Amino acid sequence: MGANIYKNKKPIIFFLLPAFGFMFVFLYYPFVQNIINSFQNITGLGAAATGWNTPWYGNYVDMFKDPNMWTAFKNTLIMTIATVVGQVGIALVLALLINNIKYGTVFFRIVFFFPIVVSATALGLLFNLIFLYDKGMVNQILELFGIAKLIDWKDEGHALMTMLIPVTWQYVGFYFIILVTGLNGIDEELYEAAAIDGASKWQKIRFISIPLIHNTLCTCAILAVTGALKVFDLPWVMFPKGIPYGNTWLTGTYMYYQTFNASNVDYSSAIAVLIVGLGIILSQTVNMIFKAKDY
Amino acid sequence: MMKIKKIVSLIVASTIALSLVACGGKTASEGAPSSESKAPATSTAPETPKAVGPVTLNVTTTYAGNDGNAGNFKEAVASWTEKTGNKVNDASATSDETFKARILSDFETGSEPDVLFFFNGVDSNAFVKAGKVVSIDTIRSEYPDYASNMKEGMMGASPVDGKNYSVPVNGYWEGMFVNKSVCEAAGVKIPDATTTWDEFLAICQKIKDAGYAPIAASLATVPHYWFEFSIYNYLDPATHNILPTSVEDKHGKAWVSGLNDIKALYEKGFFPDNTLTGTDDETVQMFVDGKAAFLIDGSWKVGGIEGMTDSIDNFTVTYVPGKNNRKSTDIIGGLSSGYYITTKAWEDPEKRAAAVDFVKYMTSDEMVSKFAGVSATALKNGVKVDESALSSLALSGLELVKGATGMAGAVQDQIPTEARVPVFDGMPNLVTGKVEIPAAVTQVLDAIGK
Repeated sequence: MGANIYKNKKPIIFFLLPAFGFMFVFLYYPFVQNIINSFQNITGLGAAATGWNTPWYGNYVDMFKDPNMWTAFKNTLIMTIATVVGQVGIALVLALLINNIKYGTVFFRIVFFFPIVVSATALGLLFNLIFLYDKGMVNQILELFGIAKLIDWKDEGHALMTMLIPVTWQYVGFYFIILVTGLNGIDEELYEAAAIDGASKWQKIRFISIPLIHNTLCTCAILAVTGALKVFDLPWVMFPKGIPYGNTWLTGTYMYYQTFNASNVDYSSAIAVLIVGLGIILSQTVNMIFKAKDY
Repeated sequence: MMKIKKIVSLIVASTIALSLVACGGKTASEGAPSSESKAPATSTAPETPKAVGPVTLNVTTTYAGNDGNAGNFKEAVASWTEKTGNKVNDASATSDETFKARILSDFETGSEPDVLFFFNGVDSNAFVKAGKVVSIDTIRSEYPDYASNMKEGMMGASPVDGKNYSVPVNGYWEGMFVNKSVCEAAGVKIPDATTTWDEFLAICQKIKDAGYAPIAASLATVPHYWFEFSIYNYLDPATHNILPTSVEDKHGKAWVSGLNDIKALYEKGFFPDNTLTGTDDETVQMFVDGKAAFLIDGSWKVGGIEGMTDSIDNFTVTYVPGKNNRKSTDIIGGLSSGYYITTKAWEDPEKRAAAVDFVKYMTSDEMVSKFAGVSATALKNGVKVDESALSSLALSGLELVKGATGMAGAVQDQIPTEARVPVFDGMPNLVTGKVEIPAAVTQVLDAIGK
């Protein structure tokens, strides 16, 4: 009789409803409304739509014609590659190195993880000072080496790299911790057996460590790709309004700009829909490349 | 056993549900007596012009956060509530795009405040058009002395119908701040009311030759001060605020010529090297640090510079040199915000008198003087300021306003935000020739016309 309570699932639905209600009100409803907004004419946050666009899909056509949107799209893809290669790649190297040392592992873990706890806005301001044109840290160091001419690290030639470096650096620690946890899960006996068979350190990494953290790497890659599509705060602090000449737009910063600076709410809604579409396509692509494996 | 578990589950679920309901209902029960609970709204005058008992007013202003008058506003509210016995629900917030969006949403959904301190330019068009705020004339039909201490022509008429809806407090002026030590080091005289545009260009060249940046400005992020004065140089106080209908008419040509002047200044190298990539904060810091000579900014910058330097006497503010019909002493300034009484409060018999009394209190000569300091006001009697407590920079600001021969509001306030993009955010493209200036102006005008 006591086991019957586990067969009756109806009370579970009752307890799931509040959470579903929250998800519906704060996620699904705004999401659907956003899609509707992208077909309407809205000229300010908070303002009601003044009607449907002519044609109703006009914003999506405009996106293809908008050079800033293409720049944002291109930069976001570059950012995606940079995060997968830079963040996950560097994190993997650091995690493998830490996994092979006996002393100081806790120290290095703290040091590498530390940037995660600092807010992106603060990091943006910090890197603004580092790359400041008028006697910023980098220009002062260059001056010590005899390069007296100030370099504008935010000009056309340097801007993208200046933006990618702090964004990449910020999240290395996040993936590092995930990968270290994955490496710690590998049975020590496998390494001992390999050592008895005469495997070198590289062979242990190549044939034991990397295959056994494959699924963790896949998770990191998906997180990195979706994270790259959402990145906003740090680039916005360092490169407001896509300076210079709109060369540093990302899909996230351009969407924000269209909403809050240009008051073109329906167009920014269309960009938001594009970001969601991109997220689905790219994360599925990563899933296909890193198919989950059972060992 | 199962029954007991079911009962326990039911009790827990009921408790959670009840607590949620209780939390949700708290604000409603503790909040101001809402107009919805009152007698149905009516356009006829209430039977009693005065509030019968203490009422609670919902008030929203921009006097919050790091606004210089946030403290003054709190004090004023406390003093008014003590005097009248009424209460104020203060929902003030920092003036930014989110704040504007919140206000517009509130009006859309019928949850607007009773009294609102908000912009009187195009930002207010939506709720003025919808008849959700009361005009000064309507209020005066019942309270004849309402805003009688203000100059009619300076109250900030609505772009919708030219009527006054808001009562202003503190306004602004725009002028050219000067770092005296840079001018001294470059061996040039500080521009004054008599300096012409050509003389100004010669001064800038000398400053540049001495190794300084003549003009601190971020054309990438804050180009609008130069936009205003460059256009103003081809118009005058009476015509500056008239929007062009095409790039070929008198005003359209003035816009193109003004923007060409900014391009010329850029090509002469009078802006900082990083003017197309640096932020406003960076260029202002250059100015304060003695690396640039001139900075066009608003009256709010007086306090900003005072907070950034220990040698405030090294700074002064003067007129932006003029050309053509514009005298150098013709300045940009005005009163871009004011107190509105919403139709909802006006039609509420209990709130009408309290709302009128609140605005009258907040816009009295004494209160406006306290809030305005060195900025412009619409007071008929002028502000009463203790000059002995002001810095030399603030005093030069007062002198600037006293010596002004004409004042025009910023024309950008006539341009909807989305329409400004090709010229404001596109300024780097204009000065580098990547986009033709007439084409950008045409885009702005097309966007205004939409």
